[in-house]
Amino acid sequence: MAFREINSKMVEATVAPGQRLFSQRGAMLAYRGEVTFTPNVRGGQGGVMSMIGRRLANEDTPLMTVEGSGTVFFGHGGHHVHVVRLTGDTLYVEADRLLAFEGTLRQGTVFLGSQGGVMGMVRGQVSGQGLFTTTLQGHGAVAVMAHGGVIELPITPQRPVHVDPQAYVAHHGDVHNRLTTALGWRDMVGRGSGEAFQLELSGSGVVFVQASEEKL
Amino acid sequence: MTAHSGQPGHPGQAGQPGRPGAGPVVYDPVTLPADDNVNNYTFCVELKGNEWFLQKGKMIAYYGAIEFNGIGHGRLDRLVRTSFHSPLHASDWVVASGSGKMLLADRAFDVNSYDLDDGNLTIRSGNLLAFQPSLALKQSIVPGFLTLIGTGRFVAASNGPVVFMEPPIRVDPQALVGWADCPSPCHHYDHGYLTGVLGGLRALTGLGGVSGEEHQFEFVGTGTVLLQSTETLMPEQHTGAVPPEPGVPGSGAPGAAGPAAGLPRLPGQLGDLQRRFGL
Amino acid sequence: MFRLQGSKVLAVEMAGDAVKAKNGSMVAYDGQMAFKKLSGGGEGLRGMVTRRLTGEQMTVMEVRGHGTCWFADRASEINLVTLQGDKLYVEASNLLATDAGLRTGTTFTGLRGASQGNGLFTTTVEGHGQAAITSDGPAVVLRVTPQYPLSVDPGAYVAHQGSLRQSFQSGVTFRTFLGEGGGEAFQIRFEGDGLVYVQPSERNTIAGDV
Repeated sequence: MAFREINSKMVEATVAPGQRLFSQRGAMLAYRGEVTFTPNVRGGQGGVMSMIGRRLANEDTPLMTVEGSGTVFFGHGGHHVHVVRLTGDTLYVEADRLLAFEGTLRQGTVFLGSQGGVMGMVRGQVSGQGLFTTTLQGHGAVAVMAHGGVIELPITPQRPVHVDPQAYVAHHGDVHNRLTTALGWRDMVGRGSGEAFQLELSGSGVVFVQASEEKL
Repeated sequence: MTAHSGQPGHPGQAGQPGRPGAGPVVYDPVTLPADDNVNNYTFCVELKGNEWFLQKGKMIAYYGAIEFNGIGHGRLDRLVRTSFHSPLHASDWVVASGSGKMLLADRAFDVNSYDLDDGNLTIRSGNLLAFQPSLALKQSIVPGFLTLIGTGRFVAASNGPVVFMEPPIRVDPQALVGWADCPSPCHHYDHGYLTGVLGGLRALTGLGGVSGEEHQFEFVGTGTVLLQSTETLMPEQHTGAVPPEPGVPGSGAPGAAGPAAGLPRLPGQLGDLQRRFGL
Repeated sequence: MFRLQGSKVLAVEMAGDAVKAKNGSMVAYDGQMAFKKLSGGGEGLRGMVTRRLTGEQMTVMEVRGHGTCWFADRASEINLVTLQGDKLYVEASNLLATDAGLRTGTTFTGLRGASQGNGLFTTTVEGHGQAAITSDGPAVVLRVTPQYPLSVDPGAYVAHQGSLRQSFQSGVTFRTFLGEGGGEAFQIRFEGDGLVYVQPSERNTIAGDV
């Protein structure tokens, strides 16, 4: 609702009194009306605990609060922008891929490793993005960035999906994640290399994968 | 007097290969468009004994008998006199003449053509790829920008598709591609952020950081503002020096505004902005 | 079976068969997949030696299994080429994947390689099947016929197929009144019958400067 895709790299957002947005700092391209941009020290909501989590997770991507009334245009770094609408469920996304999201969403940090045991803990090292991932929960829209655009792959109980951690963007739904390695993959990339693993997502939901093995 | 896209609707969509299964579209000199987009990233110029100016390094392929010359030599001198009204970096431009079709592209950036009908359009120098000699190219008073005046077609690149906006609007400096018929591009600073106790505290301690959006270009009045879809600048192209006279922006002469005076500072280093607002 | 999902992701459906792909280009898969590193671009020891000599670097993996495997390479555009017994010449770095049944090799291309300064050899793909080539921005496919020879900037060249002769052509004379430039730029001229793939972007080359 709040985000309208202008083209593959730009979204338009409407802000009204009482309807604030959060966005990555410096991602505003243009605006109309009276809109203010305030840097967030706390990184959105979540309080002190969330902040500590963030520090540990190295997920303190600087955010800003966008308030007022008017229209704001967002885009960043030439990356493709994908709008995900949440209806009560939780989106897991790396913080530096967040372009903007509605203030109605609850922001948190989770330890993805808790699902996959020791193997899961490696996941952060694999993608180099920390052991923690940002979660957004509630009703609202999120604009996510990806290098070269994303494809949406459905996850069903019969059909788990394996994703290169470098190409992983976000996922939502009732999904379990763990690290696996495919037959022969470790021989190919070299043993002990972090790239030897894939993220296995099982359950039911959707995973977003970008058209590149490069992190943002 | 408005700048509009050379092709109504979405330029180049027609040229996109039908996917999947249909196989790629194969072009030859007959099926290539004339002075129009082949796809969103490639523009085709048709030459029939006429000339086009293009920035060096932007031609990717051509059919036919086309000659490329550095500008300003011999018989082209007249052309340069009428189309280049400023000491532009001549070595950055070539003149294509002859007959045939040539393809222009720039680092896989989006490419669009625009028609000016007795109009004017100011564009960031790095974004301009090519133009017809019926247009006159001049340096803008705003450093780093070029102004095209007259009637004719030109081709410009942008990082992401260009979006056309009507004033009043405030634009991130890095997202600005250019503007047409707007008399009033000016700087806008976020007063609320820079002033007051909190602003001063932030300036002193650096705590709280900056949002990166303390400064915009503001456009009011009538006209069109061209915006690219990301704030990643295209590399600058030299526009050439300006005469070192007082009152000429960018000349470095006494009384002239220094080239950096209006530019935004790095986050947390608002520098002379703080002085300006008495912080 | 090769299929494009968007313009930058290649989806390959496999039922026990195999595909050769650029090392590390797998972004996701479902089902069961096995990966195997192929040395020297997949054409055995001789190919490896040729590659050592030529400097055409291409590390290739073989993916075999049941399910769908998705490939992508640094957000490059992907172009599908169907080969029916003819030969595709492609810069090694632009080759993303081929049917396992296609033969890959290295060929001497002489002048173009010299102008790019990145080796004198190009990868060839031969046989019946599909290949996926990448380009920076969507490639424009241009037909060359005896009436219509084509000149291409070396930096924008991606691939060609058919029976084409290549020659080196100096295209530009930079005689400016400032005495600047003075250099000559070069293009590759294609003559004969075939298709040339050109990308809307230019790699850095030594000579291509128009």
